[in-house]
Amino acid sequence: MFRLLRPFEYLEPGSVSEAVEMLTRHGERARIFAGGTDLVISMKKRQIVPDYLIAIGHLSELDFLEAEPDGTLRMGPLVTHARIAASPLVRQRFPMLATACNEVGTPQVRNMGTIGGNLCKAGPSQDTPPVLVSLEAKLHLVGPRGTRTVPMDQFCTGPFCTVLAQDELVVEIEIPPLPPRSAGCYKWITKITATDETLAGAGVVVVLKEDGSFEDVRIGLGSVAPMAIRARKAEALLRGTWPEAAQIAEAAQIASEEAEPRSRAAYRRHMVKVLVNEGVTEMHRQVAASMQEAAQ
Amino acid sequence: MKTVATFVVNGHPHEIAVEPHQLLIEVLRDHLGLTGTKHSCGVGNCGACTVLVDGIPKLACLTVAREVRDKPILTIEGLAKDGVLHPLQQAFVDYGAIQCGYCTPGMILTAKALLDGNPDPTEHEVREALAGNICRCTGYVKIVEAVLAAAEVMRKGGN
Amino acid sequence: MTEPIVHTDQFTGRSAGGDSAGFSVVGTRIRQPDGPAKATGEAKFAGDISLPGMLIGKILRSPYAHAVVKSIDTSRAEALPGVMAILTPDNVAEWDTFDRGMKDMPLVAGGYRVPPEEAVVNKVARHFGDAIAAVAAVDEHTAEEAIELLDVEYEILPFVLDAEEAMQPGAPQVSELAPGNVGKHLFYPYPEGDVDKALAEADLVVSGVFSTHKQDHCTQETAACVAYVDASGRLNVWSQCQLAHLGRRELAHIFRIPVSRIKLMTPFVGGSFGQRGSVCAEPIAVALALRSKRPVRLVFSREDNFLGLESRTGFKSIDIKLGFASDGTLTAIKTSMIGSLGGYMGCGPMSSVIGMTLSMGHYRCPNRFGEAQMVMTNTPVSGAMRGFGNDAMMFCIEQLMDDAARRLGIDPIEIRLKNAKQPGETASMGLELESTYIEDCMRAGAEAFGWYEKRAQPKKDEGPIKRGYGMATMSHCTGAAPLYLEHSNAMVKFNEDGSVDLTVHPAPVGTHIWGALSQICAEELGIRAEDVNIVTGDTDVTLFEYGSDASRSTYAIGGATLRAAHKAKEQMLAHAAEMLEVPAEQLMVRDRVISVEGRPDKTVTVGEVCYDAIYAFGGHATNFAGKQSFEPVWNSPTYGAYFAEVEVNTETGRVRVPRFVTAIDCGKAINPMAVEGQLEGGLQQGLGYALTENFIVNPKTGVVETDNYDSYKVPGTLDMPDSTVIIVDKPDPKGPFGAKGVGEPGMVGIPPCIANAIYDAIGVRLQDLPMTPERVLEALELAGRESA
Repeated sequence: MFRLLRPFEYLEPGSVSEAVEMLTRHGERARIFAGGTDLVISMKKRQIVPDYLIAIGHLSELDFLEAEPDGTLRMGPLVTHARIAASPLVRQRFPMLATACNEVGTPQVRNMGTIGGNLCKAGPSQDTPPVLVSLEAKLHLVGPRGTRTVPMDQFCTGPFCTVLAQDELVVEIEIPPLPPRSAGCYKWITKITATDETLAGAGVVVVLKEDGSFEDVRIGLGSVAPMAIRARKAEALLRGTWPEAAQIAEAAQIASEEAEPRSRAAYRRHMVKVLVNEGVTEMHRQVAASMQEAAQ
Repeated sequence: MKTVATFVVNGHPHEIAVEPHQLLIEVLRDHLGLTGTKHSCGVGNCGACTVLVDGIPKLACLTVAREVRDKPILTIEGLAKDGVLHPLQQAFVDYGAIQCGYCTPGMILTAKALLDGNPDPTEHEVREALAGNICRCTGYVKIVEAVLAAAEVMRKGGN
Repeated sequence: MTEPIVHTDQFTGRSAGGDSAGFSVVGTRIRQPDGPAKATGEAKFAGDISLPGMLIGKILRSPYAHAVVKSIDTSRAEALPGVMAILTPDNVAEWDTFDRGMKDMPLVAGGYRVPPEEAVVNKVARHFGDAIAAVAAVDEHTAEEAIELLDVEYEILPFVLDAEEAMQPGAPQVSELAPGNVGKHLFYPYPEGDVDKALAEADLVVSGVFSTHKQDHCTQETAACVAYVDASGRLNVWSQCQLAHLGRRELAHIFRIPVSRIKLMTPFVGGSFGQRGSVCAEPIAVALALRSKRPVRLVFSREDNFLGLESRTGFKSIDIKLGFASDGTLTAIKTSMIGSLGGYMGCGPMSSVIGMTLSMGHYRCPNRFGEAQMVMTNTPVSGAMRGFGNDAMMFCIEQLMDDAARRLGIDPIEIRLKNAKQPGETASMGLELESTYIEDCMRAGAEAFGWYEKRAQPKKDEGPIKRGYGMATMSHCTGAAPLYLEHSNAMVKFNEDGSVDLTVHPAPVGTHIWGALSQICAEELGIRAEDVNIVTGDTDVTLFEYGSDASRSTYAIGGATLRAAHKAKEQMLAHAAEMLEVPAEQLMVRDRVISVEGRPDKTVTVGEVCYDAIYAFGGHATNFAGKQSFEPVWNSPTYGAYFAEVEVNTETGRVRVPRFVTAIDCGKAINPMAVEGQLEGGLQQGLGYALTENFIVNPKTGVVETDNYDSYKVPGTLDMPDSTVIIVDKPDPKGPFGAKGVGEPGMVGIPPCIANAIYDAIGVRLQDLPMTPERVLEALELAGRESA
């Protein structure tokens, strides 16, 4: 209904610690401002009406995208979805993350919105959380009480709720390297049009043993529960077993039962089944093929 | 409280006193009188307010103005040079890619950013780049044709 | 195939064959004169207009589906510096109530009127989002803050959202003027024969109950208006109204101001598709200007648009029966419709009449009867959107046609040809059918699409993807004669250099009408399109113009233009004849040069003639000008055939449309590029209507859940098929240079075409719009259970 924002003060900390200090000082009346897309929309709708915006967009210490020698990926919260989607590093090592980031919003929104801002908003229909959950990503937080690390699957506690305290800041997203003989993908379906919100999303990682059986299967589900979840029962069914179509289909069925969609529930559960089935089948095929190629 | 900030728009610096809560679209339309950048949905779905910040398509209706001070901003008014239309503008006119014209500024600027980075895009790449720009009049057919035609002109050195 | 009609009409002065070889300007893909202004951002839309001392308006909308505004405490808003006017339901009584669709005064034949029920802001909110207060303040920030400072006390009333529920005894009443909530009970205006008898005697009856939904126009520019009272006391209004002179009339009525004291100006308008055929932002903007005594600019937010404006009338149920003889001859059509009007009547009721008229008159059928109950509900208002009900009815009829074809073992194209009307028969709007090339459309479309080959080949196994091919036809009116007022005017004035000013007032909503009118004018005068300057957009300057709607502009305003140009040309040629000392009948004009065949010495330019006439001494000075009032007493429907390839994913229910072909008979295409633009654009809206758009009102709370593009999805670049447009391009005997209308047909045939393709893919018929993935899966499941 409103096109403009209510007045606020715009604070520009010179460092992360200064930002934390401002958060502590202003408490509930302040919000961190990174890309701003989600926040500005919420402010226009008068859902959030902060008195202070703490602008961190210029803090270069929070804007990095690099890989360690062991393959660990480290990203600052200010990296935009567009940058992640286009990054050769991400596309080579974690293509499912590039895919998911490429699905966020529209091209313009991807140019503006940051991974940190998106994760802190914790909207229930996001693309990156199910991927980060299946990649077992960790978030590093900084606050007046020091630093702490939270696994991605514990970061969100519900729609628009995270464990991030009012006076804390996400300073890094760390993604551990994938083990050998593995592949991951992001499968999703939008609500209706191509650039629409995601109706159901699955981040699937498959790891095979040398003998070709499932070493590990990780299934992150997004948009079908209050927050992104691991379909642990489905994973347990597959772990240690021989990949077989019927078994994978059953696991997909169990994954759909682990989902807790609030609206369009039957259709969403159905889509979880379809997406997980597709994801696990394809990733198994991909790893098996690359193992065969390596053997030759 | 207003503070003076410099906004570099279409190559010209402007010192403007802005309140912290003012959006870039207000600075452009109301302070600078550059009404080519349009309000439409306000929630980041339609692209009508697209401007180029440092050459990157961004949404002026979701940008807090202070955030882009000192950065080069290109609006539709800054595209033609000395009365000569940019190849994209000319192509849009020639190919019937403009009907009501309301989505046109955002469309052209987004297309410009595409062609500046990818001078020879496929049709699919054009559609992907414009996926965040809604047009309710043309069905996008002539818009895509115009972008591809402009790309060819630009590759041949026409500017 | 019918032979092309050679068009020799006294008003063209030349024969118009079936191609553009005979024309200089008509039939060419000219650039639009407003293109550069729009491409550079120079073009001004209403929201771009700034005036000294201008205030910004904002509207407060009801958060309840049905409530009395008991009181509004304005003290906090009044105390805010910079708030200059506040409208509440208790302080607008000095102004008259109105019907936003402007049917509270004569516009429709037969005395059809809609009672004026709406106030500038309303005491009883009849739907979520109904306007109940408004403010004008020195800037938009202050205006928004003032809205938030209004303290409203509501008495919440029970509401009804569903048309069928609203008709039940005991349902909450939406309007005192609609007993039982039936706002209008309307009938198909051209009933014929004995439809019940014909159905009883038919060899085959196909029937179904269908529903269609409320589609939002989603004009990229929202409603906006600038209003001010100038120093002489005249009300000046920058209005988007597509029927500008009628908008002026309506404002005169509401604000009790003589028409002569209102100047209505039309800026560029960012899309309309029928929505600006009603007054939109004008009443509140004008009221704020009068109350504050300052200029006011009111621009709707996107949410204001979804909630406060009319969108396409949805039909809760269309119960329709078609009767056939065993050879495929259509013998009977009977329709019973229930439509949802929303909280006010607006343009909604007529969508049933026009919908029935165009669709039930599309085929030859000797027994026809239809009725519609248009029901008021506590939902945002329904009105006119591209197609105006023809789309809803053809969604039903073309599916039933396919069903009959299948059951009778007749090819879907042949059954349609069998029942196609021929020129000379009575057309759908009740006048003589002037031209129809429906067969050309079907044949050309089928060929371009590969219809027979695709349908003949066995279906490949594509896993969960099922591929299907469907087609549909339609016809749509060109203008609304004889049902609506079809009065257009044009004036052509020669300048001293041989260029002309063409004064007309079509709606500048992006249809390329200025270019078309300049082509028609230029062709008649023997000059270039760029020599025609369009003078428009000011009711002080333009003669009366009904406006742009019902796909009428090229035909009716173009018809006026052609005749006005002819008059001006006659004056000009008479003077040239004097100058050249030859009889006027021997003169030809081409490329701005007047000449005589076989007499190379007898030549003069149009410019020289005009100059000579203007600067003549001795009492003979004259400025050639022709004016023509024109009311077409014909209605040449435009015909179309549509072909779609769909991929139905039986796992996800998603329907993808990779390929679409539209073949159109809109008479002679004045500008083929513009015709393509209408059909390509109509395809986007048609696909949205069929598949992706869904206006959702929460059934428990009455809250509109789809009030912006984050929740209401229109097709984007990645949602569109590969599309081909075929223009049959054969002239109509009555249209200017043979042209018929094309604004709406691009939309009308899409939904049944997609539905028929879905049937071909998965063997189930979807009878409800939109055809959502859940509905597809549901239909598949039902079919699976039925066949098991």
